[in-house]
Amino acid sequence: MSEPEPAAASPLADITRAELFASFLKMGLLGFGGVLPWARRILVDERRWLGDREFAELIGLCQVLPGPNVVNLSVIIGARTHGPVGSLIALGGMLFVPVGVMLLIATFYASVAHEPLARNAIAGASAAAAGLILGTGIRLLRQARPPLRGLASGAAAFVAVGVLQWPLLWVLLVLIVVGVAAEWLASR
Amino acid sequence: MSPGADLLAEIAARFAALSFMAIGGIMSILPEIHRVVVDVEGWMTSAQFAELFALAQLAPGPNAMIVALIGWKLAGVAGALVATIAACGPSSVVCYVAWHWVDRLRQSKVRVVVQRALAPIAIGLILASGYTLALGADRSPGAFAFTLVAAAALAWTRVNPVWVLLVAAGAGMAGLA
Repeated sequence: MSEPEPAAASPLADITRAELFASFLKMGLLGFGGVLPWARRILVDERRWLGDREFAELIGLCQVLPGPNVVNLSVIIGARTHGPVGSLIALGGMLFVPVGVMLLIATFYASVAHEPLARNAIAGASAAAAGLILGTGIRLLRQARPPLRGLASGAAAFVAVGVLQWPLLWVLLVLIVVGVAAEWLASR
Repeated sequence: MSPGADLLAEIAARFAALSFMAIGGIMSILPEIHRVVVDVEGWMTSAQFAELFALAQLAPGPNAMIVALIGWKLAGVAGALVATIAACGPSSVVCYVAWHWVDRLRQSKVRVVVQRALAPIAIGLILASGYTLALGADRSPGAFAFTLVAAAALAWTRVNPVWVLLVAAGAGMAGLA
């Protein structure tokens, strides 16, 4: 554990490259079933590099930018401590263990994939994994409680991309333009 | 050029293009990855795609790791590295260049409006991901029930998703899926 007193100025300035790598390595290592809760625990509670509110704002920022949220989080915190090198260090730390573990799992999977017992286990897990993503979407929807115009654009995205399997680029372009216009009008 | 170089180049190009479309995270582009990998390129079946996704969920780390696994399936270790770098690289460069500027817009109306517009679209895309995976994975009534139970568990309880996967794998082994 680090010292309990958070620094008055941004503590991000004093982080060494080794500390940066180690903390993102830990996030990647422990992040079973999602990295974000661990990112919060390590960055806010353990290291005290960020306050609660700062962390929440940072996640909001990561969500507006394209790309995986935790990858963006690594890039930004790395950039704020050691510039482009910092971003690479944080990214490398975050992805190093997961990619390695993934390759181990993949190799194991390849060696047992035709065993009937393994096939059954994977069938069960893949059916549940689909449900996990649906459940995550439902939870997000319940938390966000979007107004009718938001529900409409969410439903349009679901039908166009999920049911009709249309190319994402065109769907996104249309929905973002229409969605931003609708929000803009509503906010006037 | 080795025979695999063309394939690696194609993996890089496909995932790099997708990188920019990942609003709100990698789950937003999962149906598009599925469309490209299964329907356009014919690199694997829908059921195999759902299996790889489940394996990716069992490993630690960001959800983005699914792209490493797809790359591995197509072209081994080199494929995994190329897919991961291609999927995370371009968006990371955008993030590096733009975060400061977007951060300064924190209080501005433009940012608030864009954020409010993007949020429900991202949720719709996450649900589309789950739907796409379910189409590939649910080949029996039992499997369909697994999907429903897992969805309910995630939506209404605080259970760690890894436990849900492990229980489902065990139940699958027992022949219930």
